[in-house]
Amino acid sequence: MLELAQFGAGRIGRIHASNIAATQGVRLRYVVDVDAEAARKLAARHGARVAGEREAFADGEVGAVLIASSTDTHARLAIAAARAGKAIFCEKPIDLSLQRLDECLREVEKAGVPMFVGFNRRFDPSFHALKERVGSGEVGAVEQVTISSRDPAPPPLAYLKVSGGMFRDMTIHDFDMARWLLGEEPVEVFAFGEALIDRRIAAAGDIDSAMLLLRTASHRMCHINNSRRAAYGYDQRIEVFGAKGMLRAENLGASTVEHFSARGTIADRPLDFFLERYAAAYRAELAAFVAALRARQPMPVGARDGRQALVLAEAALRSMKTGKAVRVE
Amino acid sequence: MIRFALFGAGRIGRMHAENLARRTDAELVYVVDTKPEAARALAEPLGARQADAARAFADPAVDAVLIASSTGSHAELSIAAARAGKAIFCEKPVDLTLPKVDACIQAVRRARVPMFVGFNRRFDPGFRALKQRVDAGAVGKLEQVVITNRDPGLPELRFLATSGGLFLDFTIHDFDMARWLLGEEPVEVFAWGAVLVDPRVRTEAGDIDTAMLLLRTASGRLCHIANSRRAAYGYDQRIEVLGAKGMLRADNLAPTSVEHFGADATRTDNPWPNFQTRYAAAYRAELDSFIRSVERGTPPEVGPEDSRQVLVLAAAALESSRSGTSVRIRPTRRGGRGSGTLRTAIQTANALLNSARKRG
Repeated sequence: MLELAQFGAGRIGRIHASNIAATQGVRLRYVVDVDAEAARKLAARHGARVAGEREAFADGEVGAVLIASSTDTHARLAIAAARAGKAIFCEKPIDLSLQRLDECLREVEKAGVPMFVGFNRRFDPSFHALKERVGSGEVGAVEQVTISSRDPAPPPLAYLKVSGGMFRDMTIHDFDMARWLLGEEPVEVFAFGEALIDRRIAAAGDIDSAMLLLRTASHRMCHINNSRRAAYGYDQRIEVFGAKGMLRAENLGASTVEHFSARGTIADRPLDFFLERYAAAYRAELAAFVAALRARQPMPVGARDGRQALVLAEAALRSMKTGKAVRVE
Repeated sequence: MIRFALFGAGRIGRMHAENLARRTDAELVYVVDTKPEAARALAEPLGARQADAARAFADPAVDAVLIASSTGSHAELSIAAARAGKAIFCEKPVDLTLPKVDACIQAVRRARVPMFVGFNRRFDPGFRALKQRVDAGAVGKLEQVVITNRDPGLPELRFLATSGGLFLDFTIHDFDMARWLLGEEPVEVFAWGAVLVDPRVRTEAGDIDTAMLLLRTASGRLCHIANSRRAAYGYDQRIEVLGAKGMLRADNLAPTSVEHFGADATRTDNPWPNFQTRYAAAYRAELDSFIRSVERGTPPEVGPEDSRQVLVLAAAALESSRSGTSVRIRPTRRGGRGSGTLRTAIQTANALLNSARKRG
């Protein structure tokens, strides 16, 4: 039995806790949150106990921690977990600062503990199947990847102000998908960013719309389009174009029912929002983490991936400001 | 009844000739080609006659010319047609160099004849319906446009070597669609080109076969264009437009809508295999638009100024793909000067064209 301590009892924490409860061979031992009431409720639901950070890290029975607290606490908790010798599942992003992220990486590597970073989209059944088919050569050599990633509505301004900006907060997922699907590291980034939806977003120093291009050393190309608002729902699509054809993964609706009416044919809008769209992905990523731990295999997505996505985000920011393609190492 | 002289008896000329022959409001009178036998072979079964250019221009019974000859002859023939007072339907592009396009614009204005440029995709029923809905406000204020344009297969390397390059020969359609759909002029272009399909595209034709581009308008509307010279599944022609109130999308069209549910998978038809089949309706509709504008004396829906603007975008893309920097385009009046970078862009484009001609 793998005993887990979970940090964070908020929206995403609740998802992880119920997935832990549904996974065999894993038990949620502690819930830690600055909001004691939230921690108590979540712990009670899953037969866990509320604990302080120190208690959770000191308990030798705890084999792994799941960090789903606010972004600014991820690195600190991951470092503490590494020093305590715990395996780490950390929500993305590890940190918004590369310096802080590197500090975390050093501690984790020094301690030799496994660290998984929650880039959940890799575990979406459709995207996962698409990637496997790319890997098996179904479309030949990959030439172009197109990622559409649009939120249904902008988050509250208060959130945007601490989010690190669209590229670090939102596009970070797409950078990870791009790396994963291109099969080579992007070495160059170009970005246009705009505030087209809400002037207050511009006033807060952020953008709400973006189009980016990435390219690898062998000139494979990737396009990412982002918007903080898609009136029709959470728009999550991927296309991979290769020498022998194209693979495409479309949006998913709540049902497949189509209504053929006098005014047109009507289908469900895409699932809205990430908790619904990626419900299966959250389950699968947890299962992948647990399976890798059990088999003592390397994590399928780790701290280095978290770092590389952030490096791309920073390059995109520089590109947006300079109008030049920015090279990354 | 509009009487036409057709210039060019090649692939695209034949298609236009057949479309003209089917109409009751138009008549194909002459076919002109540098190869008189080809002109005769096309003309006679359709009840028209082979002629040389001078005769076609001199005949007062000819109301309009349809120029579907090789690109290098478009401007010269258009200018001659303008001087002869004929209405002009010219295949895209008018020319690959700005001075010639400008000369054409001037000649047409001086002669006060209408000139239509065949950016056929604007007349595709699907894309047209999409554009009409954008204009009707179906998706609110427009924010993003995504254009996918992939050819089914590489053309002959010999053709590529003299084509002017991917941006001028191929992306030119997408630049036009971008301008049309964005509803504002793009003022900034970024482009990457690559050779991923066949290394001989670089070594033998000095061209690229794959590209991704971004455009931006003054108010910050964004557009992405994806290009490839080879899509294994057919001619990939898709558009999507994102606005404040939703998205409009026009997907590929296939010969039939039959779906085969087999034991291993569900299969549908591939997209139409080439532009002739995919845009058959568009070619008919553009001719329709031209003829109506001539009959009614209304301005043509797409003119040489559009061809000029698209050329500027192609030159900017070429420069961007070489410099790794986005290229800004100041909104230009006819004959107006672009920014310093744009001047470089046009010089680069012209130098490339000259070397392509030498190869050809």
